[in-house]
Amino acid sequence: MQLVDRIRLGLAVGVAKTVTGMVKMLRLGAASVLPGEISRRLHPRLLPLMFEQVKQGVILIVGTNGKTTTSLLLRTILEDQGYRVTHNSSGANLINGLITALLVDTDLTGNLNVDYAILEVDENILPLVLKDCQPKYILGLNLFRDQLDRYGEVDTIAQRWQKAIAPLPTDTTIVLNADDPTLNYLGQNLTQKVLFFGLSEPNLYLEEIPHAVDSIYCPSCGTLLNYQGVYLSHLGDYECPSCGFAKNATAIDSKDWGQILIGVYNKYNTIAAGLLAQEFGIAKPDIFQTISNFKAAFGRAEELTIDDKQVRILLSKNPVGMNETIRAVNDINKTKEAAVTLLVLNDRIPDGTDVSWIWDVDTEQLVATGGKLIVSGDRFFDMALRLQYSCEQIGAENTNFELIIQEDLGAAIATSLELTKKEETLHILPTYSAMLEVREALVGRKIL
Amino acid sequence: MELSIGWLYPKLMSTYGDRGNVICVQRRCQWRNIGVSIIPLDREADSAQFSKVDIIVGGGAQDRQQEIVMRDLQGAKAAAFRNKIESGTPGVFTCGSPQLLGRYYEPALGQRIEGLGLLDLVSKHPGIEANRCIGNVVFEITATPLAKELQALWDEDPIIIGFENHGGRTYLDSVQPLGKVIVGYGNNGEDKTEGAFYHNAIATYSHGPLLSKNPFITDWLIKTALQIKYQKEINLSKLDDSVAIAGRKAMLQRLELSQLIVTK
Repeated sequence: MQLVDRIRLGLAVGVAKTVTGMVKMLRLGAASVLPGEISRRLHPRLLPLMFEQVKQGVILIVGTNGKTTTSLLLRTILEDQGYRVTHNSSGANLINGLITALLVDTDLTGNLNVDYAILEVDENILPLVLKDCQPKYILGLNLFRDQLDRYGEVDTIAQRWQKAIAPLPTDTTIVLNADDPTLNYLGQNLTQKVLFFGLSEPNLYLEEIPHAVDSIYCPSCGTLLNYQGVYLSHLGDYECPSCGFAKNATAIDSKDWGQILIGVYNKYNTIAAGLLAQEFGIAKPDIFQTISNFKAAFGRAEELTIDDKQVRILLSKNPVGMNETIRAVNDINKTKEAAVTLLVLNDRIPDGTDVSWIWDVDTEQLVATGGKLIVSGDRFFDMALRLQYSCEQIGAENTNFELIIQEDLGAAIATSLELTKKEETLHILPTYSAMLEVREALVGRKIL
Repeated sequence: MELSIGWLYPKLMSTYGDRGNVICVQRRCQWRNIGVSIIPLDREADSAQFSKVDIIVGGGAQDRQQEIVMRDLQGAKAAAFRNKIESGTPGVFTCGSPQLLGRYYEPALGQRIEGLGLLDLVSKHPGIEANRCIGNVVFEITATPLAKELQALWDEDPIIIGFENHGGRTYLDSVQPLGKVIVGYGNNGEDKTEGAFYHNAIATYSHGPLLSKNPFITDWLIKTALQIKYQKEINLSKLDDSVAIAGRKAMLQRLELSQLIVTK
């Protein structure tokens, strides 16, 4: 780095650190975005310069679902081996959030003292980051439909990723989910080193393809894909009957691996982080050790104990994510260890303002298992209607489940806890902003 | 009594929760003990399947999927579909499917997609840089004779509450608009029209899905379909819509449209 760059970088860092201190002192929030914005104005090439200084390299994690949990697992694996790791806080996955995360570990002379930087990147921002930054690793988890009001269409996003990754050095390692046809196809068309992960466990196949699927057409020729089986949404074992496009061989045998938390989606998160960790040279037994001790990130299958009762918060922000949380909740409900579920639907900017997506969720499955369902949040009426329309019978004829509508979130949480028996678990399924509110109500502090 | 719901390209045109419209029709039939079946009118379906449906429901699609649909909806299938609409089969078409029924759609990128030309309207996407029309939408149905028939069913002005989320803009020629916008963009954000109405086909940009918070439209579809099929006057039994009514009230309050709330 040139001296003049170093001085400007140091200046930017100094100002940013002052801002961080002030924001925190004045209790304005956790200062996860603003310092980045200010320092970027002071030094426009700040992000690429910081990328260059990460000793072992920067890992970008992209995908619709699972970024936070996978990042946290990977970070824990690395830290358990004694590495210094930096990681952007959940939700701060636009450019300014990335800069802010790296600034935390940068000193006033512009030195960044970390071995690895794990950065969650918003799927729409990836091309922008790659324009002038070179990560050593990119992990692509999945591409589902999310927040259509912001982004539009899955196909377009994959094409933009491909264009953005193409010019990167050939020794960049790209780790992709082979079970997602869109990402598998992307991997086949890259000149970089590509490693695939995926499941090879037909015992985990779904009985039928859920409705909320995005791309079951061949990304190469547009023919309907043949699936031997589906693990979740459009992730599965598939091939194209027309052009021969098929799932690539994976660099990891999922049958050998356990998993963190609950649900098939967390199996994906586990093997994705596991494959990367192996690529860094960490031994399998050490990775397994971290996996078995792992605790959840905020609101992602996080477990809390409130008044001697277990509470599990399962972030549910899009059709695929919610179908999977319903599947996990049903598996537990069937063992009679839970019977109460609280659904909180908000329609603020971080949630997506369009709540039509709940009609793409197979809530019929949740209602069929029965129990008590409490609804709350900004759009509690929409959720109540969705549940009502999940039943073949209406009103008194339906004795299988009980729908409780409670607008006030505090009251809804109190009711839900009250209805939960001592040995049972209360499941809470919130959208993003609702998850923050639920946590605040339960543990008394905000996280952002 | 029984009805068949034809679901237009469920694998290709189900982008914005519009499956909810199919679910609403299905449930409100089941809740009244009217037999109901769902026929997927997908690429695998032939023209005979198009011919046997009593109600047609269509949703929105991504641009690429929309092109696949238009390539498939040709020949005998297109003729069967056209015949259904022209002979008064009730239907509800949201977002992408009205573009399909119109004369043509010009996407943001790529070639103009020719429509079936059933509705005298055209749709154009003003380019990827242009804002999408996104937000809660409220409009009053003005189309004849639909507005009067809905009023008879619901006992108040047919005010529709939904959510719009579209890049394309639609411009009507001779076809009558479905309604007049109170809050939101509607067809194009310029002329205050929303949707279109032709024979018994309802075309709209309103998701939400449309039928969930406007159950009187669902009942109108069911009643109209039964009357055509059984050639007699049908009176549907009342259902408990208290959740939908409370939800409508809450949304009108939130949008500062309390004057539209009717207290029964």
